[in-house]
Amino acid sequence: MAQEMTGPGTGHGLLSSLAQRVKGGAGGSHVGKKGPLEGVYLTQLIPTLLILILSVITMLSCSMALGTVSLFNHVAGMALGIAAAVVIWRYDYRNLSNLTTALFVVSCVLLALPLVPGLGVEGDLGGLGWVHFGPFRFQPSEPAKLVIIALMASACAQYNGKIESFADYAKLCGTLLVPLLLILVTDLGTGLMIFFSGATIIICSGAPRGWILATIALIVGVAALVIITSQIEGIPHILQEYQLARLTVFLDPEGTASEDGYNLQQAMIAIGSGGLLGKGFGNASQALSGFLPAAQTDFIFATYAEQFGFVGSVVLLALFAWMIIATVLLAMKVESTFSKLMLVGCAALWTFQVLESVGMCIGIMPITGIPLPFMTYGSSSMVTQLAAVGVVQSVWHHRQKVA
Amino acid sequence: MDLSLVIIVVCLVLAAALIVVFIVFGRSEGAFTLDIGGASPRASGGSDSSSDKTLSSRLIGLAVTVGGIFSVLVARLWTMQLVSAEEYTEKAESNRTSTIYTQAPRGRILDRNGEEIVTNRSSLTVTAVSDVLDDEVEVTLLANLIGMPVQAVRRKLQDTTQGYQSRRTVSVDVSRRVVAYIGEHPEVFPGVSVETRAQRYYPHGSLAAHVVGYAGTVTQEQLEESESAGEGQVQYRSGDVVGQTGVEARYESVLQGVRGEQVVYVDAHGNVTGQASGFDPQSGSDLVLTLDIKIQRAAEESLAKVIQQVRDSGKVGAGGSAVCLDCTNGEVLAMASFPTFSPSVFVGGISTTDWEALQAEDANFPMLNRCIAGQYPSGSIIKPITTMSALDYGLATAQSSWYCTGWWTWSGDLSEAAGMKCWGTHGGVDLVSGITYSCDVVFYEIGKGFYLQNSEGMQETYRRYGLGSSTGIDLPGEEIGRVPDAAWKWEYFKSLGYSDEDATWQGGENCNLAIGQGDLLVTSLQMACAYCSLANGGPVYRPHVMKGVRSRMGDGYVSEYRVEKIMDIEEDPAYRDIVARGMWGVVYEEDPAQTEHWTNLDVTVRGKTGTGEQISADRAIGWFGAYGPAGEGDTPRYVVVANIDGVVSGGSSALLVVRDVFGAIYDQPDTSTAISTGVD
Repeated sequence: MAQEMTGPGTGHGLLSSLAQRVKGGAGGSHVGKKGPLEGVYLTQLIPTLLILILSVITMLSCSMALGTVSLFNHVAGMALGIAAAVVIWRYDYRNLSNLTTALFVVSCVLLALPLVPGLGVEGDLGGLGWVHFGPFRFQPSEPAKLVIIALMASACAQYNGKIESFADYAKLCGTLLVPLLLILVTDLGTGLMIFFSGATIIICSGAPRGWILATIALIVGVAALVIITSQIEGIPHILQEYQLARLTVFLDPEGTASEDGYNLQQAMIAIGSGGLLGKGFGNASQALSGFLPAAQTDFIFATYAEQFGFVGSVVLLALFAWMIIATVLLAMKVESTFSKLMLVGCAALWTFQVLESVGMCIGIMPITGIPLPFMTYGSSSMVTQLAAVGVVQSVWHHRQKVA
Repeated sequence: MDLSLVIIVVCLVLAAALIVVFIVFGRSEGAFTLDIGGASPRASGGSDSSSDKTLSSRLIGLAVTVGGIFSVLVARLWTMQLVSAEEYTEKAESNRTSTIYTQAPRGRILDRNGEEIVTNRSSLTVTAVSDVLDDEVEVTLLANLIGMPVQAVRRKLQDTTQGYQSRRTVSVDVSRRVVAYIGEHPEVFPGVSVETRAQRYYPHGSLAAHVVGYAGTVTQEQLEESESAGEGQVQYRSGDVVGQTGVEARYESVLQGVRGEQVVYVDAHGNVTGQASGFDPQSGSDLVLTLDIKIQRAAEESLAKVIQQVRDSGKVGAGGSAVCLDCTNGEVLAMASFPTFSPSVFVGGISTTDWEALQAEDANFPMLNRCIAGQYPSGSIIKPITTMSALDYGLATAQSSWYCTGWWTWSGDLSEAAGMKCWGTHGGVDLVSGITYSCDVVFYEIGKGFYLQNSEGMQETYRRYGLGSSTGIDLPGEEIGRVPDAAWKWEYFKSLGYSDEDATWQGGENCNLAIGQGDLLVTSLQMACAYCSLANGGPVYRPHVMKGVRSRMGDGYVSEYRVEKIMDIEEDPAYRDIVARGMWGVVYEEDPAQTEHWTNLDVTVRGKTGTGEQISADRAIGWFGAYGPAGEGDTPRYVVVANIDGVVSGGSSALLVVRDVFGAIYDQPDTSTAISTGVD
């Protein structure tokens, strides 16, 4: 029976089989044989590599049609990312678990870098989140995501899965709030990612349900207040009108004569016209003839879905689901709370990015420039995402083995 | 391409390898759970298990959330890519394709001998891509070179009526100098080129202008009409050149070609990236008319010449018309109207001042085709038909005779002041001499007789001869004239608010009607058709200007006008003889000054002069209608009717035009300059 249930199926299959096993307690047999790939967590690695292959193919089509895209750069970013992942994989991540204070400082420094005069430069799309060191330019917010995941994991792991004092809970929330406020100044999208991952870590670390719900209510209330005050004349607006419009354009793209509305319409036309099987490699009349802006970055999913259709989209989403669920599964299996929370942070990061990046293209999420992991053109994001894979693999690599 | 193929193949191989690796090695990972995840918390004791439980349940919650998010994404993709895929595909197609239209040349219009009346000429046209708009310097240079205001050039460049990706027409009919300059300096004018385009051309100038009409830019109404028209109809686009009047309008569907359409792929910037599909323009078919250029020209020149004479003599000479029919089949050999216009002013769009000049009353409405739309009292040329009517209804016989003193009263008492004049003093007259000398007294008596015995009989005869109804000629804008009767008068005058007495038909009106005066209105084409019946001894064929549509290959016709008999009027041959004799007399007996014009023509012609008083305009319209050859044993072939508005008499004006038309038919020009002084 165990054999049947542990096939390389989808996340749901694995999940249910796992749940059964958790309930059923000990049973089945231990496979003592150590394969040549024993040090890597194939269940998560394989879908990641398959996504990378799809990424290469998609970017190849972009590079053929769009002059600004270099497949070499994309692959070079991947190579760099894989190198980073290997380093992290070999490094024992557990050393980080007691460095809460240091991680906090590092993350704040990273996020504050673009604000330092002389270091910060404007990005291609006008964003402020870039810094340059000599000839290199990068977005410090990208590595900061991982640092903050480690920070939150180490902070929450102290309570060993049971937060009993409200002061502790508030302290954790405060730990997350500081870097969050720093990033929200420059980059709302990245801020949301960090918030989502950090909050998921706090929730999974055992905070009482009532506090969580209260916090959520507080956030919703503040957000509502911000939006409402921004619409009332005579009160200082926290969000400008155009910022609000950008957040709500997805509700009615055709009724909004804005660039975002147009972009979203073009993205939806691209995806919808892909149909069941897509228009085929390189035949994206929408994405690759200039109708769809940011076809290689913000709207990369539309570019992919137009060429490969519903089937291709489901394959890609299934691969994402597979790798994320595999990560959550690993979190369930490993012993240390810190490891669990690191994995939870990575899984939450990916989930939120997929939800937002794909959801934005299909008109169910507001438009923000969040990259689709492993797919979007740009090395900063690619390196960070692969480094996160390295974290997952490191957890597996350094798991407690049965004596 | 090869490189990308290699990359794709490598990727696919890698993917396959990865899946194989996972199948071979991945299975062992599942077992790991059982050893550690399950067993060790159990050993750790109770206090830990609660926190561990919380964590596990939260992780399961996370997994469920992840699954839920992906399900939502897939569900949304399902509706977009499977359910609504077609709608999105349509939008994507309309995004990436654009249609370029090319005008098709219109068909030519030829006379019966194949000579061109309307054709196309190639015109040198400067076109430019819309990008030129962005180059301020180039626009200015181009404007200076062509000699147009910069603003006008800019407006032309913005014109998208030929399709968004089509080249914009900047200027038509540019000079060779401009063409040469653009050709020699391509670096100064990127995106500008010279093309040859087809434009309407009239080798004979204004010849037959009223028949052929003109073609101009499609109007808003025509656009809307063509939109609501069904399949198979020509679908116009804004900017199309469409027939507006005359044959151009009537045979629009023949002359209009099929515009070329090129569907091209475009990118987001509107650059053409490839050819999708399309077809070349197909020019319209050539239309052959029944007109004979030689006769047409004679009619027009004669009208202009005679009207000039009329004006020189101090009369108004407002306008005139002349129509020549082949009475054996209804073919229109000539149809002239004066004043005329030049259809070429409409090529490429007419200016407002030109248009207003053509519509102006003091220019005597040059656009009006007086042959079919000029309604006038017929005057005495109605008398042959009145005679037929009198004979038919027994109001007169060959033996009837009357005495003309130049004055006529209803009661017969010539001393009465209330009476009507005859234009001359004819003494004893019968029907034949009544026609020949156009004696009004004869016809007053006939009119009175009808009033007393059969008050509608004369009108019935007129209607039998086609007056008061359309001839159905294949030209737009025909008027039907008016045959007045008691019912008409009552209705008409009552509607204007007159008393019952004023609206009642009076006996004197019957007398007026008998000599073609009063409220009678006819067109020269209607009179020509009525005379066709006299010439043919009964039948009348529908007048028409279209002979056939030329086939594209060879000289044959793809379709020909089907000759149609519209009337066949039965009369006693003896009555016909009386009328024919009288009409012979008009030409050869009535007035030596008239006769002099006809004795120099070999064939015998029978005709009738007329001078209709137009009370409202206070001027007379002169008529002459004739048919020939009409000697003993001849079969008449030609019917010619002419009228001129604002003259002394028909015999001194319209008769000369009819003579010139016969002169053109038989190549025997009129050498006489005699002018008749009679005012019948």
